[in-house]
Amino acid sequence: MQELQSPAQEAAEDIYFGQVVIVWARWFVILAGTILALWSASSVSDLTRAVLLIGLLMAINFLAHGRFLMDRPANRGLLIVMSLFDLLIITVIVLAWMGQNGLESPFFIFYYPMILAFAFVFPPFVTAVYVLVAMVAYVGAVFITDPSFVGNSIEIENLVQRLITLATMGGLATFHWRIQRDRRRGISELPTELSPAAPRGQ
Amino acid sequence: MSDNWPIVSEVSEDLAHGQVAIVTFRWILVVAGLLFSLWNPGPIGILRIQILVILLLAVSNFYLLAQLLMGRTVNDQLVYAASAADLIVITTIVSVQGDFNSNVYVFYYPAIMVFSVVFPATMTLMFTGSIISLYFLISYGTAVANQGDLQILITRLLMLAAVAFCGNLYWRIEAKRRRVTAEAREKMMAQISTRSAVKRKST
Repeated sequence: MQELQSPAQEAAEDIYFGQVVIVWARWFVILAGTILALWSASSVSDLTRAVLLIGLLMAINFLAHGRFLMDRPANRGLLIVMSLFDLLIITVIVLAWMGQNGLESPFFIFYYPMILAFAFVFPPFVTAVYVLVAMVAYVGAVFITDPSFVGNSIEIENLVQRLITLATMGGLATFHWRIQRDRRRGISELPTELSPAAPRGQ
Repeated sequence: MSDNWPIVSEVSEDLAHGQVAIVTFRWILVVAGLLFSLWNPGPIGILRIQILVILLLAVSNFYLLAQLLMGRTVNDQLVYAASAADLIVITTIVSVQGDFNSNVYVFYYPAIMVFSVVFPATMTLMFTGSIISLYFLISYGTAVANQGDLQILITRLLMLAAVAFCGNLYWRIEAKRRRVTAEAREKMMAQISTRSAVKRKST
């Protein structure tokens, strides 16, 4: 059997077609952040800090979405850098957003759509590293905010629950990515006797 | 945009391929459910309900896994029902643990993800809409004490919608890619057949 596409072509197509999922995941985080910033800010400084973070995410997404619409989508390297920047911004939100920080912050849920979208675009190894970075960043943010949580069984339980669901999200999305790739390969296989490279007489 | 939507015959195929991910998620839910039920156990009455529900889920998942291992196709309706059961189990545990204040809601995210990449858009919309409405009702009615809680609740619901939307978007993209690949294969096979016929004639 011979396939219509090489693995390199497949990976390039994954990035070309899949990056719009990352763009939409980021728009959802921006929407949630904007609603919260406008609704919950009680002082000018609160709102300023929030708008700075949201504004950065929006700038990234205008760049990413604009390039996609112009049929000049971001390449693999740029996409990874932008996705890491997403994790950085979400971690800063967990660390410093309006009063509720660290384990108390309800905004760790912003990690879910970003991890999901990333896992749909990149191969398993890259996704595994990305999920690990997200988990380490979150644990780091929780630890920096209040290291005393390590002595509290209920707080550790909460943290472990969140980490398990983050890992599940990345793991299952990457599992699904593999299923889809195998389905595509199954379709693109040419029978040997019809392959252009098949020797004469076969 | 209409060519992005998979045709009806692809739906059962999607369910057949995606079932293994759904079954895997359910095992994770069972193991995590048992772990967290026993970590800081609540009153015995609540613990009984939690363990009973989790064990029922494990038995039903074993049945579905057995069907997969034997290579039998599971009825589409049964796949939908099993996924609805997952969401009911999570909601039951959220309810007995204090609605809005329960931390178990985080399991909704992977649950929604696994069906949004497998189910057709209408089913994903129906499932996600139901769970968003249900979670809003049980949380808002009993536990949302102030405007801060309401903001948090809305953020949670918005992220549930985000996960469903992104999952379904990926499902559509992949369906289109498969269709384009199949068309390219057909064209190539036709060209190869024509060339072979011409060569045979010339020799």
